[in-house]
Amino acid sequence: MPTTAQNTSFRDLLKLKSLETQKSFKETFPDAHQFLLGKGLELKNLRQYSAKLISAGALTGTLLLSPPTGATQLPIPLDIVQNIDNSNANVVPQEEFINTLKKLLPSEVRPLARDEEKRLEVVISDILRINSKATLEGEHLNTTYGYIGAEQHLKRYPGDILENHGPYYKEGIAPGLGAWGYFAKSKANLTANLEETEKWYSVAQTLYLPDWNSRQPYLRDWYKYRKLLIVNTVNGNAVVTALADSGPAVWTGKHFGGSPEVMEYLGGARYKKGAVLVFFVDDPENKIKLGPVVYNDLSGKDLIKI
Amino acid sequence: MTVLFYDKLVVLKGVDKKIEKLVQANDERQELWQMVEEIVHHKVLGCCLTHLPHEHHHQFLEMFHARPHDTKLLEYLDIKSKKDMKKIIKEEIKNLTKDLLLLDSHKV
Repeated sequence: MPTTAQNTSFRDLLKLKSLETQKSFKETFPDAHQFLLGKGLELKNLRQYSAKLISAGALTGTLLLSPPTGATQLPIPLDIVQNIDNSNANVVPQEEFINTLKKLLPSEVRPLARDEEKRLEVVISDILRINSKATLEGEHLNTTYGYIGAEQHLKRYPGDILENHGPYYKEGIAPGLGAWGYFAKSKANLTANLEETEKWYSVAQTLYLPDWNSRQPYLRDWYKYRKLLIVNTVNGNAVVTALADSGPAVWTGKHFGGSPEVMEYLGGARYKKGAVLVFFVDDPENKIKLGPVVYNDLSGKDLIKI
Repeated sequence: MTVLFYDKLVVLKGVDKKIEKLVQANDERQELWQMVEEIVHHKVLGCCLTHLPHEHHHQFLEMFHARPHDTKLLEYLDIKSKKDMKKIIKEEIKNLTKDLLLLDSHKV
């Protein structure tokens, strides 16, 4: 457990380094500093500025280039059906799913275009039987195709310890709380539902959403325990999760996080990082359970291992 | 497409674990993440301008201001600087990672 002094010391030193770096930039490149200042762009807000430009550009593009229906942005149904690789009728759904993902996904992991997302929504609905959306009620994550990393268990109530989180102990329990705090006020208040929520929790970079700060507390409430479908794009394993933390930091090279249970199901005990699709689960009546999406129906046969 | 043209080059291994160990409150953790990011922005942009001949600075800044996400900026930098800017930025980030990991060790 770190002492407050250690924490303060690191924080102060980091702040100092940040100020020194800014000062050095300003002194070494005064013209660049003045240019950016003149444009009203502070480098500390660069990510938000860029995210706003991208979303405004996407919107403007849609308004200028599309007919009133906006139909040209969306793939035609036949186009989607043709993308589903069911050439061999005997192929198991998981294999069909993996082959279809290979056809639809770009070679590099990157944010997807709207039409790419629409095609995937249809494929997921058709094969996984989960109604999922890249944009739900107007909300959209900064990316729906990115890298997921392993997270620790989260403390569900004051006094919760790792030993209560079996059988996956290896990842440990996070010293801090998730973005929405404890799941319950006390152990007595921890319902089976909340237990499942922690067990199948996920992490997304809500803090980097361009309007995260300006649309509070709405967004905070909207995203709390929001159901997210996570698909391992390599092996087709899929799991319905509940969003319970914000992160990871953008400079970790990862875009999402998964609880030890989520990661175990997606890729096995050694799975620490991998490419995934993350879509909102459209479940207004709260009928879809958290946990693995079993879509093979092979009477007990294991999922394909990666 | 990324949010910033250099996002894929910026991976600070171990810094998040260090912050996680030191800071428990989510808000505080995110505040430190933000400080790291501010340093990254200044370091990377400084690195780009250092290696880019001065006569191209204005054009680069105009392009950067208009499309900070555009990875074609890296191609522009490569051409105008006649250097492998991806490699240079990665090296800068590697050095920064070392600095940050040693920040409170009294060794720097």
